[in-house]
Amino acid sequence: MKKILVVGGGDGGTIFANRLARRAPKEVDIEVIDKSDIHYYQPGFLFVAIGESSREKISKKRAKLYTKSIRFTQAEVEKIDLDDRRVILKGGEVKSYDYLVISTGSTINYDDIPGFRDSVNHFWTLDEAEKLYNRIKDFKSGNVVVGIGGLTYKCPVAPLEIVFLIDDYFRAKGIRDKVNIKFLSPLERPYGPKLPSKIMTEEMKKRDIEPVTFFTVDRVDADRKKVISMEGDSLSYDLLILSPPHKGADVIFNSGIGDEEGWIPVDKHYLNVKGYDDVFAVGDSTNLPIPKTGVIAHFEASTVADNIYYDLMGVERRGIFDGQSFCIIEMGRALASGQVSNYYYTESPGLIPSRILHLAKLAMNTIYWTCILGGYI
Amino acid sequence: MSEIKPSITVDARGLSCPGPLTSLIKAYRKANVGDVIEILATDPGFKPDIEAWAKRTGNEIISIVDEGGVIRALIRVTKK
Repeated sequence: MKKILVVGGGDGGTIFANRLARRAPKEVDIEVIDKSDIHYYQPGFLFVAIGESSREKISKKRAKLYTKSIRFTQAEVEKIDLDDRRVILKGGEVKSYDYLVISTGSTINYDDIPGFRDSVNHFWTLDEAEKLYNRIKDFKSGNVVVGIGGLTYKCPVAPLEIVFLIDDYFRAKGIRDKVNIKFLSPLERPYGPKLPSKIMTEEMKKRDIEPVTFFTVDRVDADRKKVISMEGDSLSYDLLILSPPHKGADVIFNSGIGDEEGWIPVDKHYLNVKGYDDVFAVGDSTNLPIPKTGVIAHFEASTVADNIYYDLMGVERRGIFDGQSFCIIEMGRALASGQVSNYYYTESPGLIPSRILHLAKLAMNTIYWTCILGGYI
Repeated sequence: MSEIKPSITVDARGLSCPGPLTSLIKAYRKANVGDVIEILATDPGFKPDIEAWAKRTGNEIISIVDEGGVIRALIRVTKK
């Protein structure tokens, strides 16, 4: 029986473990290690931030999410030693493996933007999403500035989603005429890919949201309530919501296996850590030039689970990860758009906002816990 | 003419839009006035993007050359 060690029990680690455990129940002994015993449905943070969901609805005990044969260990990993095939836990316990899957995700790097930590609201953690809702529900009038802060951040569409949902929220509350909303982007358009950006820009125009482009956030002056760009511009705000800069997990820095931002170099198709054939990385933890999202972690984890299964069975077949992503962009007004892309097809048209995509997004809130985390699809 | 030596090189080959421009902006965040950033990219949309960025930000494009499918641009940081 082969020992499979999974460091990190987020989307990637959980989907990988469940999928492989089901496919090869007699061939593998799988252990998942994570410092937290709670798993969060991270796309739900958006809905918490506008008061449409809650901590209870988007959290589950991690141990309940695994197939019975999988062991879950709550512990913090201190160091990963790839050459000696060892994972060292805080406290000194050492774990060995035949295959290692690293799914350590990303962490917020507040220090990258001076003033961010103390003056910017966001919803990239559950605590911060709850704080943001408290700000939004008590907001009466003024300037709301939303946009891209850190340039490496999880989920590229999240800033767009919150700006549309906030517009919706203030309209429902009857105070939209007392609120100015601006959307910041360091690019020449609100969103990177050109065709979906066109749809987003048209919707912003319809909803009186002003795009402010070529605005690369340099720092935030909390005393004067101004956000200042590297291009030399500044904007006053009463409520500032920006994507925080992200970096790799501390354990990746401690282990010396990442690049300068802590992302692990991997093969873009097979996800093995470069230089190793028994170690894989999935999800946010990799250095791949694609968004850091749950859907990508999902497809990567499935590819790695299937390829280890083929390896164990002694067959030559291998699956290839092609950078596939499918993202539903929530836009308020019971509408959502969507975008499909992979490594080779990046300029797909954005999908026209529709109710069916909005319903698909809501359906995800439920099927996530069963079909997706279970590794069935 | 003497070759201009870049102080920072950004390899954005293989990245699709907006990857190359985002990589450039990341380098720009860390650069000082006077630095020359060299950026290599293969995304065909990069040329108009970088021209628009330089025009808006007031930084100087020293050159943009297409070298067999690889766009090589040299940017002098003149404004921060």
